[in-house]
Amino acid sequence: MTTAELARPYTPSVTTRARRFVKRYRFEIVLISPLFLYVFGTTLVPVLSSIILGFQDPPRGGGFPSLASYLLVIEDYQFVSAFTNTLVVTFASVSMELVLGLIVAMMMARSFRGRGIFRAIMLLPLGIPVVVAASNMRYIFLSSGYLNEALIDLNLLAQPIDWLKAPLALFTVAASDMWKVTPLVMLILLAGLESIPTELYEAAEVDGAGAWQRFRNITLPLLRPAITSAVVIRGIDAFRIFAHPMGLGVGRTVPVLSTFGYYEYQRVYYSTSAATSTILLVMILVAVVLYIRLAGTEEITG
Amino acid sequence: MSVVSGADRQKRRGFNWRKLGSGVGFGLLVLVVVAMTVAPVYFMVSLSVMDPSEFFRPHPAYFPTKITTQWWERVLNSETLYPAFMKSLVVATVTMVIAVVISVPGAYAISRMAPNIKYLLILSLFFTRMYPEIGIALPVAVLFLRLGLYESIIGLVFAHLILVLPVCAWILVGAFETIPRDLEEAASVDGASRLNTLWRVVMPLAAPGVSVAAIFSWLLSWDEVTYARFLTLLHPTLPIQLLDIIGRSGPTVVATWATIVTIPVVIVTYLMQKWLRADYLAGAVKG
Repeated sequence: MTTAELARPYTPSVTTRARRFVKRYRFEIVLISPLFLYVFGTTLVPVLSSIILGFQDPPRGGGFPSLASYLLVIEDYQFVSAFTNTLVVTFASVSMELVLGLIVAMMMARSFRGRGIFRAIMLLPLGIPVVVAASNMRYIFLSSGYLNEALIDLNLLAQPIDWLKAPLALFTVAASDMWKVTPLVMLILLAGLESIPTELYEAAEVDGAGAWQRFRNITLPLLRPAITSAVVIRGIDAFRIFAHPMGLGVGRTVPVLSTFGYYEYQRVYYSTSAATSTILLVMILVAVVLYIRLAGTEEITG
Repeated sequence: MSVVSGADRQKRRGFNWRKLGSGVGFGLLVLVVVAMTVAPVYFMVSLSVMDPSEFFRPHPAYFPTKITTQWWERVLNSETLYPAFMKSLVVATVTMVIAVVISVPGAYAISRMAPNIKYLLILSLFFTRMYPEIGIALPVAVLFLRLGLYESIIGLVFAHLILVLPVCAWILVGAFETIPRDLEEAASVDGASRLNTLWRVVMPLAAPGVSVAAIFSWLLSWDEVTYARFLTLLHPTLPIQLLDIIGRSGPTVVATWATIVTIPVVIVTYLMQKWLRADYLAGAVKG
């Protein structure tokens, strides 16, 4: 036996390793199986059958493989606007939530009188059902709603604006989503803020760094892992946004991919609905991969 | 010495106008953010009791001066309220029970795995969240139409579990991680089987965390709309009933329905405060 062979560390074959793993975790595997079988069975199987259904003939399948459903969908002017609306709403809502969430998290990180009440009020939207949150936005954004009324009373506006008509409605949908989930983004960012050691700020202050410099050079870089997880978690949800446009009553007039897919299903066009959901899935995957590439992988695990 | 630290400089200046200015600015910011958060909920409640004389005019009143119960009476007497309410209640409760029964063993086992395997398992559970719900709901709805489970409570529970299970398991992993393993080792030295240990040693300690996971599961199911929209038409859940009302009724009636959908959530969330300890969610957030 040569020294080189001796020096090589002992690496058991895949099957022995698997057998050892099963032996060691036998009890755990039994306990985990129902959970994982259910979760994966009820997601992978439907998603795969949706993908397959999308490549069949409209309206209800058959004739696999066929691109007819995709062609039908792409020719639909509603689909084109649903596609761009989804991108715009996702971008607008995630960036608005991030900015407002960061502002509120930084407010929360300060100690001031009434902080406990402030915290309780800021978490209020978490306790409001999504559909209720969206339908509440109607009283504010209807053309006879409170926002127009306030703007007219403040002499900022002469004529009421229709906030529920495209393209402004995209902002309204994003604002509705923002109201509901900013507390969640705020909690994620607050956890990140609290993990930044205060000594860093004290040292920077001693060195004469201003508030903006401290924010720019300490807070933002050290908050990047928290920001990345907030963007990924929120971004995935924002792409699939459904309840907000429905609750605002603009599901049909201002379609996003989820509502478009729903109305296709409702008029018994199953294959085009499936094709829409597959397009949405690809969009989400591409966006997540792109974002993780741009933001750096080590931050996901951090 | 020419080197003076910022803190020293501030101390010397006497009355600090800048600090006052930033204090006022901060107070204003607090007011704006609080108003933005509270306004929609305030308008919901105030519209639900607003007198027609204050509502049916070019602009509804900011602060109602006359209060009416007529919208509440109309909604509480509506034929669609009770079945929808009961359906939501039953679906959310059954979903909660099944979610806890399936998640407790799974989450316990995950929490006792080696850290890298644990991380991989939790991440893989959450990958299922990337799939568009409409892509899952469509085949499920088509299948249920064929099986006659469309509109059924079993069908909805089945669909809601897809959404609820990963979240429920995630919270429970955080809860089980706060329980030291030494206790289980002590129990196994005493000759208890692992299942016995889980049931008699771990579960009593995990009870508050299990309650939080159960209540989160209930809330998720109560709030859910996408699957419910795909799987019901004539016998909707309460949130879907609200969606149907939105296009058909005026803001005062919609506001009343919305308040009714919210009240159980408020009660349940209030109950949860008792058990909610930051470390369950913190453990869960760290994943």
